[in-house]
Parts: sequence; C-alpha cells; structure tokens
Amino acid sequence: MLDTVESAAGTRVGAPSWGDRLLRVAHAGGLLVVIVLLAGGASLFVPNFLSPFNQFALTRNLGVDIVIGFGMMTVLGLGHMNLALGAIGACAAMAVGFGLQTLGLPIPVAIAGAVVVGALLGALNGILVVRTGLDSFIITLATASLYFGLMFILTRAEAFRDLPVEFSALGKGRIGPYSSYLLMAAIVGAGLIVVFNFSELGRQMLATGANRRAAGLSGVPVNRVTIIAHALSGAIAAIAGVMVTARLASALPSIGEDWLLPSFLAPLLGGTLLAGGYVSVIGAALGAVLLSVLQNTLVLLNVSGFWIQFFLGLALLAAVGMDRWRVVQTQKRGTPGR
Amino acid sequence: MNASILARMLRHDWLPLLLMAIAAIVVLALISASFFSNYNLFVMLRILSVTSLVALSQMVTIAIGQMNLAVGAIGGLVAILFGAMLELYGVPIPLAVLAAIGIGLLCGAVNGVLIAWTRINGFIITLAMLSVFTGLNYGITKSIPFYNMPQALKTAYDSYLGPIPMILFIPVLAALGVGFVLNRTRAGRHMLAMGGNPAAAELAGISVTRTLIFTHVLSGGLAGLAGVVAVARLGTAEPSIGADWLLASFAAPVIGGAALAGGHVSVIGTMIAVVLVILLENGLLLARTNPFYVQFFLGALILLAVMFNQWRARRTEARRASGRVVPT
Repeated sequence: MLDTVESAAGTRVGAPSWGDRLLRVAHAGGLLVVIVLLAGGASLFVPNFLSPFNQFALTRNLGVDIVIGFGMMTVLGLGHMNLALGAIGACAAMAVGFGLQTLGLPIPVAIAGAVVVGALLGALNGILVVRTGLDSFIITLATASLYFGLMFILTRAEAFRDLPVEFSALGKGRIGPYSSYLLMAAIVGAGLIVVFNFSELGRQMLATGANRRAAGLSGVPVNRVTIIAHALSGAIAAIAGVMVTARLASALPSIGEDWLLPSFLAPLLGGTLLAGGYVSVIGAALGAVLLSVLQNTLVLLNVSGFWIQFFLGLALLAAVGMDRWRVVQTQKRGTPGR
Repeated sequence: MNASILARMLRHDWLPLLLMAIAAIVVLALISASFFSNYNLFVMLRILSVTSLVALSQMVTIAIGQMNLAVGAIGGLVAILFGAMLELYGVPIPLAVLAAIGIGLLCGAVNGVLIAWTRINGFIITLAMLSVFTGLNYGITKSIPFYNMPQALKTAYDSYLGPIPMILFIPVLAALGVGFVLNRTRAGRHMLAMGGNPAAAELAGISVTRTLIFTHVLSGGLAGLAGVVAVARLGTAEPSIGADWLLASFAAPVIGGAALAGGHVSVIGTMIAVVLVILLENGLLLARTNPFYVQFFLGALILLAVMFNQWRARRTEARRASGRVVPT
C-alpha cells in the first residue's frame, strides 16, 4: 500500500521524542476540545440530550463502542487488522447464549467460556497469519466468513432468547445516570494501559509493529507476540459480544455485523496509526466518545438513520486526515535519521 | 517424469484452478442430474454476469497493491441511481446505462483523488467512502427499491444471440477488456509496475499519482457496471445491491493467484476462480445443504487457496535460490 511504505520509513522506534509526545498530547487534547464543543452544543441546543434516559442509552452504546475499538486497536499496534472482530463477537454472543440457556451454566462461567472462545478464535487468526506469512487482512477476511459460517451451522441461526434475568440485568446497571458499561470499558482500558505502557509484552507488541525485522533481530519472539495480540483482540471482541447480548437480553447471530466501521473509527480518531508501532488507549476511548456523541446527536436531531452512516464516513475521513497531517508535521521537523 | 509435468503445470497460475473447476463440474454432474439442465446453467450464468465484474473491479486495485472496500457501495449507489433514472425520469435505457457507468467512474475518481491527494492508506479511504456511498444510497432511497424497471431491460438481459445467451458476453468482454488494459496498454504496464514496486516505478518516470487515480476510476467503472447488470438481473433497483460483495470481490482475485502486495494479478485465474466459487455455491445448493454452509466453505476455500499460492511462491523462490534452472 502506498503510504505504508512511507510511514514505515519514518517509524517511531525507541523512546518518543518530546516533540512527538507533545503532538500526541495535543492530539488527545484537540479531540477532547472537539468532544466538549459538540457535547456542549448538543446540551444547549438539542432537546433531550441531557435527559437521564438519553444519557443512559448514550453511555451504554458508548461502553460497547469503546470495547470494540480496543479490540481493533490491539492488533493495529502490530500493524495488523482484524476483520473477523464482528464474527468473533457473534460467536462469543452465541456461546454465552448457549452456555446460559442450553447448558444452564452459572453466569460467570458462561461469560468466561465465551471470552475463551473469543481468545481461541483470535489466536487461530494469529497462528494463520504467522504460519502463512500472509497479510492479516486476507486471513481475517477469510476467517470472518469461516467463523460466521461455522456459528450459523452450529446454531442454525436460531437466537437464544430465554436468558436468565440476572444476566440481562447486567445491561441495565447504572452508575448515577450513566450505564455501568462505562465501568466495564474502563476496566478493559485500564488493563490495556497496563499491558501497553508497563509490560514487556506490550513493548514487544509495539516493537514488532514498528519494525518486525528489527524486533526479531533484537530478540523479540515476534511470532508469539503476534499470536498473543490476536488472541487478546479476540478476547476483547468476545467481551463486547457478551455486553451486546446482555443489552439485548438475547443472543442473536446478527450481532457484530455492523462493527467494522466503529472498530476502525475509534482507534484511528484517537491517533492510533495503521502502520503499527503506536497505540493510544485514552485516544481510542475518546474517539469512541466522539463517535457516540455524534451519532446520538444526529439521532436526536431526527436525522434519518440512513444519513448517519454518511456522516460517520465523513468523520472517518476527517480523522485520518488529521492523522496524516500529524505524520507530515512530524516529518517536517525531520530529526535526521528518523 | 510425473513430477516434472506437475511442476510445469504449477507454473501457470490458473492451471491447477482449471483442473479443480473441471473436477468440480464432473463431480456435480455425477451427483446431480439437474446440474446440466438448461435452467441450472442459466442460473449460474446470471450470477456470473455480476460476480465477474465485481471480481475484476477489485482485481485492478489489487494489481497496484491497493484495495477498494467501496466496490459494493459504488455498485449499490449506481444501481439505485440507474433505477431512479429509468423509473422517475424515463431516461432511455442506453443513455441511463452510460450515465450509470459514468457515476461509477466518478465514484472511483473520488476514491483515487482522495488517496492521491491525502496520501492516506487506500484501505481507510475506501472504508470511509464505503460508508459515505452507502449512506447516500440509503439516504436517497430511504431503503425503498425502485420496482418499475422497463420490460425492455429484462428482455435484453435474458435474450439470446442464436443459441448463446447474451449475458455470457458480459464476463467474456469484461475479462478481455481488463486483460487488454493490463497487458497491452501503457497504463496497464504502469499499474503492474507500480504494484510491484512503487518507489522503483516512480524512479522509472511513472506517475504514481496518475496511475493510482486511473486504477480507482477503472475499478469504480467496473463496480458501477456490476450495479447496472445487477439491476437488470433482479428486475428491481434495490438499495441492498452490493452489500454482500466484499468477500466475493476479494475471494476470486486472491484464489486466482493475485498477490495482495500488488504487481501480480491473473485475469484468467480470477475468472476461473469466480466460476469455481459459483460451482461451490451451486453444489451446496444442489446438495440441499443449509445455505450457511456456503459462507463456511467459501472462507475455507480462500484460506486454502492463499496457502497454496504462498507455498508455490516459496517453492519457486527456493528453486531460484538453489540455482537450478527453471525452464521457461
């Protein structure tokens, strides 16, 4: 791809310079300003935006969107993609439904089982990418079809609708006026911050994403790191799948169908680079906030759902435009040797 | 002796595929009496008329090492605008077809110009434009199809030239056209050179920007044409046209031996792969399996094909490295 080459030439290996850090903070800050302006405008001019009902609905969708974005971000750090994110989410949703309704498992066990299913499917993606040396795009495009197909065959596309009340109550939890899904997203986010900022594994993932060859030569077990990152992505997709299942109070095979765009939007809006080597957990969360507030405002303004997709596309264009501008700015300052 | 025959056949991208397709036809003919029925063949031909264009549309962007995730979205947008021209404004069919293809070219041009201008990854730009084009499509139609397509359109689609169905000409002419552009024109050579190595292509004096835009325009035009043919096939201009083209668009070129990194695509391989995928679907249909098996097996087929292509590429590489003469 045209600019992969180019960005790879300017990869950010090693400690980021102060200028880089400043730009990143500025990026997150800029995003925050946009969010505050949008949300402020919406609370002033859009009726019902601040109503408790809307705040709950908004934050519940937001919690899911954040987790979906995290799922993609984890492999973007490697410079990979996971187009099977939605398929894995659907498999996990059906797995939790099967565990609760058919097997009658206790709720924590069923959820754990679904997350394990997600992690295994993600790991399979990673193994296939490592073993074949092929682009993660084509591998996960194929496994998305494979996983969806397998799930449909096993469940005959029949939804699980008789889930325990205690399970669907998870989707109704509140913290003040907000959905408890925000807390779930925060827990996943905190975990990822620990992984990417404070663990050997996270550093190895980013090093692999920045320059696979160099990472391998300096002793990073690149294959193992790749498989773990994909497994992590699958597990996070499964968490999102379970969250949606609890929200709908039923496990539907159609869950995950519309995850493709938000999964890329949130991390890219938040400054995560497609080329790999850099992720921003806070940024991805803020990206999801912008996405959800924008979507929510358009709905409240009675913009037909059909046009919302149009605006989300424009938002993605604007987001990557900013990303590109940032890279250009970094290159302009052009520290020699970078 | 046997090994050398095998090796010679493996060097053609599409020969193993052709053998597989022939084997599939033989198996299908044996297990189902209705396979060779006129009805079944015509059904497959109708699918081929759309899917071949979808595959070629993606293949040209793969040739330069890019992707066009918006192939289906362009097809859908063109389809409903084509339907609107016919139903609401009574535009004559030939004029509407030309205008529809023009819209496809324009959509492709938007993709190409945005990528060239911003230098942002084509994957992301076309993902965003997928959303934009689909949003436009549903925003305009509010998800309501145009039902009243002129009878002349459907009649033309199902007509025969002597014993040959007219729709057979669609994949044949499209493949010949794309093959001609890629192999016999300067623009096509530039596309393959750029796909092989963009930096080297640029140094050799090829305008990467112009080639990039040309490719996306071509891809958009083919996607638009696919939208028009889909309307003729269905007899209605449905907004959902194109929604499920993504997998199919990548499946055929990749099974046909295209390298996603660019620089190497096979028109014949892609076309055989389209046929192979249709045979797979048809076989599962004739065997009366659950339709969901199609998705599973299609995913499996893509994985197997890319692994096989990879294995063959490594094998060729290893032979070159070991200094053995590879007969040409």
